Amino acid sequence: MKQEHTQHRSKRYGMVIDLDKCTGCGACMVACFSENNVPFKKDETDKRLSITWMKVYRIDNGRDFPNNQVCYIPRPCQHCAGQHEGHSPCVSVCPATATDYSRETGIVSQIYTRCFGCRYCMGACPYHARYFNWWDPVWPEGMEKYLSPNVSPRMRGVVEKCSFCFHRYQLARDKAYANRRKDVKEADYQTACTQACPAGAITFGDLNNPGHAVHQIVKPNDHVVKNKAGISIIGKSQNPNVFRMLERLGTNTKVYYLSSREWVRKAGDNYIADEKPEDMFAEQKKH
Amino acid sequence: MLELAFKGKKTYWTWIFGLLAAIGAGFALYIWQINQGLMITGMSRDVSWGFYIANFTYLVGVAAGGVMVVLPYYLHNYKAYGKITVMGEFMAIASIVMCVLFILVDLGQPTRALNVMLYPTPNSVLFYDAIVLNGYLFLNLIVGWNALEAERNGVHYQKWLKPFIYISIPWAISIHTVTAYLYCGLPGRGFWMTAILAPRFLSSAFAAGPALLILLCLFVRNTTNFDPGKEQIQSLAKTVAYAICINVFFLLCEVFVAFYSNIPEHMDHIKYLFFGLHGHASLVIWMWSSMALMVLGIILTVNPSTRKNEATLAVACVMIIAGTWIDKGLGMISGGFVPNPLHEINEYAPTLPEIGITIGVYAIGALVLTMLYKIVIGVKEEAHA
Repeated sequence: MKQEHTQHRSKRYGMVIDLDKCTGCGACMVACFSENNVPFKKDETDKRLSITWMKVYRIDNGRDFPNNQVCYIPRPCQHCAGQHEGHSPCVSVCPATATDYSRETGIVSQIYTRCFGCRYCMGACPYHARYFNWWDPVWPEGMEKYLSPNVSPRMRGVVEKCSFCFHRYQLARDKAYANRRKDVKEADYQTACTQACPAGAITFGDLNNPGHAVHQIVKPNDHVVKNKAGISIIGKSQNPNVFRMLERLGTNTKVYYLSSREWVRKAGDNYIADEKPEDMFAEQKKH
Repeated sequence: MLELAFKGKKTYWTWIFGLLAAIGAGFALYIWQINQGLMITGMSRDVSWGFYIANFTYLVGVAAGGVMVVLPYYLHNYKAYGKITVMGEFMAIASIVMCVLFILVDLGQPTRALNVMLYPTPNSVLFYDAIVLNGYLFLNLIVGWNALEAERNGVHYQKWLKPFIYISIPWAISIHTVTAYLYCGLPGRGFWMTAILAPRFLSSAFAAGPALLILLCLFVRNTTNFDPGKEQIQSLAKTVAYAICINVFFLLCEVFVAFYSNIPEHMDHIKYLFFGLHGHASLVIWMWSSMALMVLGIILTVNPSTRKNEATLAVACVMIIAGTWIDKGLGMISGGFVPNPLHEINEYAPTLPEIGITIGVYAIGALVLTMLYKIVIGVKEEAHA
């Protein structure tokens, strides 16, 4: 009985990115572009108008040579769960039900044909993971033949974002059904960025499955903890080197970052100068 | 009554055709935007709402400001406002028309706009905003039009109108409250995430709306045979004085909370707006002029001698309208997006086509306002003739 219960437990797909391994090469961005038919313009110099489902940010520790250090932070959609599963900032505000939270997989979807382009979700997203099609996507002559047939291209005037390569999940699920399996295997569903990373910095899988590598690195807390502000933190990592971006907002993202450097972990949220990131869960420590 | 809007002198028709020309130009630019997509605007990944939404927010305030004549007249039985209530209501109609149009021109797929109503989403504040805005438009149309028609016929307005009048008063508060809720519930946007945002919006609304109404009253008195009245203008001026004081007070409350608490994501937006951040300072001059205009507005409206002098009062009203427009139209929306939650700074400025479309929408509002006021004045002149 108990075993069956765990089998039917819903999945929470997520990833952990090792920032100490990331070299900032941008292979994840390129892989994402071609996998998901992400449109680009002839002139891509103005990055504010670019569409990048996966974007690599560069930060440094602000110190002078020889103490200067650089860190690259790849940023896909963070697939927020919110204060309770499904209360993502973007899903809450969408007036067209064009973005939805799957309780089955924990993936935040985007339904292009419903979106009417009000861009409320972009205002709501704290991570700038959402992109608007400011122009009509035009592919260079002949390139339309090379587009991925599994992902629909988007039209002008709608918002799009990283889907954790959801089409790959669908293919993996079909494969599992065909093989009379109930569950999708870890190796059968991996995102394009994960596979493209030459440093092996990205680990993707089911955060709820103790057998998956992502679970073993992140060690997510099964219990919901409350921070000092009374905000519920779901899946708080019990690995001291793992953090999430703007974790104190309580968006409860499913993209975790790993770094042994404290200044990197501190860059993940807005801290006042002398604050230690560890203090955030002071209450939790007491027990 | 509509026929009254089609009788006018040469200056009236020149004004109307001037507006139509501006509307035509704005519409042509909008067609271009439809063809090209929103890339012709200055908006980007970081500042995904710009000039359109900023003007929308400001005009919601002007519309809500109309209640400042409706409330004293109907709830406190302040008889003097009876003469100008309909002017407040019609100003609200013109403002709401512009609000709805600003939302429409901001959409990426305007042909799908009706999905807001066809597939309701009670989880989204935008859904409620659509309801309250359209509701307020219809309430003002029903109340304003029927009350004016009754006045023309020399009878008391119909009894069934009463409930609509009473509903319209809290409804006016609701339009600006819901509009503030659009912004202030978003995590990661420290500048907007404040419980005082709705009260701040309302205070600037109750300053800007009545200030515009004073200017309209003065204009009507100087150009027609209908005098909205000295007492009425003075009462409105007192409302403006209180509201603009409260507005600046609220702003200072925000500054205190942000800087005393030392919370970076709340401080940085204010730093960016008033002092510039990391060398980005395109709004600094605007924000300080807004502060100067609002403070001068306070001095001129609080001081009895300058308030009672209609010439200085008019100057004060222009200053307050400009000051609150910069504060809300330029600072409020851009300021919330810059710096972004990841603390990058990407500034925003509207492009020329964007400004052209904005002017077109304002011209539509001015046209609606002109025609409605023409009807009001026609009726009032008939009554007093």
